[in-house]
Amino acid sequence: MADNWGFVLAAYGLAAVMLLSYWRFLARRERTHTHPARPQRAGPGVSEPLAPTVSEPLAPTSGHPRSKPASRPPLQ
Amino acid sequence: MLTFARRAFIVLWKDLLVERRSKETLNALFFFALLLLFLFQFAVGPDRERLAGTLPGLLWLGFILSGLLGLGRTFVVERENDCWEALLLAPGDKSAIYVGKLAGNLLLMLVVEAILVVLFGFFFNLDLGGVLPALAVVIVLGTVAFAAVGTLFAAMTAQVRARELLFPVLLLPVQAPVLLATVKATEAVLLGEPLGSVAHWLKLLAAADVVYVAVGVLTFDFVLEG
Amino acid sequence: MIRVVGGLALAALAAGLVMAFGVAPRETTQGNVQRIMYLHVPSVWVAYLAFAVVLVASITYLVRRLEAADRLAHASAEVGVLFTGLTIATGSIWGKPTWGTWWTWDARLTSVSILFVMYLGYLLLRGMVEDRERGARYAAVLGIVAAFNIPLVHFSVYWWRTLHQPPSLMKPGPGTMPGVIVAALLVNFAAFSLLYLYFVAKRACLLRREAEAA
Repeated sequence: MADNWGFVLAAYGLAAVMLLSYWRFLARRERTHTHPARPQRAGPGVSEPLAPTVSEPLAPTSGHPRSKPASRPPLQ
Repeated sequence: MLTFARRAFIVLWKDLLVERRSKETLNALFFFALLLLFLFQFAVGPDRERLAGTLPGLLWLGFILSGLLGLGRTFVVERENDCWEALLLAPGDKSAIYVGKLAGNLLLMLVVEAILVVLFGFFFNLDLGGVLPALAVVIVLGTVAFAAVGTLFAAMTAQVRARELLFPVLLLPVQAPVLLATVKATEAVLLGEPLGSVAHWLKLLAAADVVYVAVGVLTFDFVLEG
Repeated sequence: MIRVVGGLALAALAAGLVMAFGVAPRETTQGNVQRIMYLHVPSVWVAYLAFAVVLVASITYLVRRLEAADRLAHASAEVGVLFTGLTIATGSIWGKPTWGTWWTWDARLTSVSILFVMYLGYLLLRGMVEDRERGARYAAVLGIVAAFNIPLVHFSVYWWRTLHQPPSLMKPGPGTMPGVIVAALLVNFAAFSLLYLYFVAKRACLLRREAEAA
């Protein structure tokens, strides 16, 4: 049976790429947190305190989450 | 124990009353089930043999798609009418709410499924007479599992943005084993085989039912806290 | 401390490679393609380990409300999904020359794929709940449901695949394999476990820093 070294290399190569990418993701995130004064570049998962990506208001108005008044149907 | 049952029943009764007055969920789901039938027929094509082979799968696909629509709305009625806070403030064991909602969802799904079975029998010319009891057993076992996790996840996603997206995305992977079991069991039952031949699938479904309901009862309090 | 674990992981990975390519013999039936197994099997073991940790951490969080438990669950789920993805990818690459197809719904690949989408959903849930405390609670409940689902997935998929056709698929496992292969598997498992520890520790640490910064 053919040895298919190409597939073996592909598998190990892919594994290396996946694990290294995750490691780099962790390393990059760590760097942005140990040097918060650095200008933040947009990147995957990098937190951006200057430009919140959440469109809804962050501060809860009460302890209970409520749907926006405009979107609620009128009471009958 | 009795107050638990009574509180669960109150939740169930309230939902039944709301449904009886508006009938909106049931009507919409009935219509949706009918449309699914058309969809399946168009998707699979006119070949009767092929249709017969895929029938158990299509039936359960129909149940699941209808169930996703129906279950996703479990807590919408409370949120839309500002009763959500009242629900959260209800004293005592919140698991009674879970059981009540679960019972309501179960009833709803079983009604829709009964309709679908009749429609399937009519449109695809099935002779369901003899296999109906066995089929009913499989359907009930599978539906309990679906409703148990669905009710829990419906409460969870009720307050999340993009609820309609997250609910199916969370529910469907968890239901994969149940789907495998029910389709295989339904396949056997529709061929006229006795329930004993699929005993292992039934046991799996029963185990799933017990696990899901138990986890639902135990964790519902944590979901409704906020 | 974390760096020590990282260094150990690296060393163990190197040892694992040596075992996989240098020490382990060329398999008789499959040829050298079988060496992919030294990636694929330890990967899936570590994935299960990760999800077991998610279960324990989730229960701990609900019972004791320890933020650390929540961060551990989050980190472990993320790394678990990574290794699950790795399992699927290596399994697929192995399958092509072995069975002639990139994908097959055999018992292991199917089970692992279900696991993959379940815990991917877990990560999605975490991403979509803004309130941190609520997100932690919901994720914990989901983590528990998913973990209890794993045995159900196993049995259903196994019966689905094997009850109506003879199991003609190769099921590699330490059962009847020569000692050298088992040894290579175990070394790679140890290496991947150390890597898992390193990743989870770093990730959990990051989560703590992000929580403190917010």
